[in-house]
Amino acid sequence: MLFFRSEEQVNAWCAAKGLPRRPLVTLSQLWQLAQAWYAERLSPAARRPGPDEMREIFARVGLEGPFWDPKADYFS
Amino acid sequence: MELDNSVKLAIYTRVADTGKMPAIGKVAEAVGVPVAEVKASYARLYQSRVLVLQPDGISIRMAPPFSGVPTQHLVRAGGKEYFANCAWDALGILAALHRAGEVFSRCEQTLEPLHLRVNENGPDPEPCVIHFAVPAALWWRDIVFT
Repeated sequence: MLFFRSEEQVNAWCAAKGLPRRPLVTLSQLWQLAQAWYAERLSPAARRPGPDEMREIFARVGLEGPFWDPKADYFS
Repeated sequence: MELDNSVKLAIYTRVADTGKMPAIGKVAEAVGVPVAEVKASYARLYQSRVLVLQPDGISIRMAPPFSGVPTQHLVRAGGKEYFANCAWDALGILAALHRAGEVFSRCEQTLEPLHLRVNENGPDPEPCVIHFAVPAALWWRDIVFT
């Protein structure tokens, strides 16, 4: 999960690395993910979201489809 | 398991307070059990995807969102500095601390510095995008690459 200045820079990086181009996330979406995932991380009751919660968080942020499904076997 | 939760809290409290991942001896001291018990707890916390360990089994590589090793993602908040594991975790550190702060990272293609100012409402606008190279189902196959 890396920062790039633009989509063009992502495309150049993927081509140079021989990696498939995957979804892009905006800074606003990343902040929403950071809040959902980590806002309670320092509290005693903190726990990692389970698969259903992960799907729900991604969908809330507008990230849907097999790429964001922690149980998908599409990419295995 | 009660011990595992105490160990986890001891780690997160110390890294949040100091910006440094604690040595296992400090964690053992904090929870009041021998180092060997903390080492066994670390292994369980790795299995439950709470920690990522170095090969020695006693040094912490990641307690997400915090990194135990220097990375290209530096976070400043409350007069302290932290390393994050990735772009997501860079913002995640500020979310976890509930503090405003700054992220110093880079465009991974051009290596141009990228500076984000973040307040309680989120980052100030900055031209950038974030690329997720690995599907969610495969993140823990190689979490360091992810």
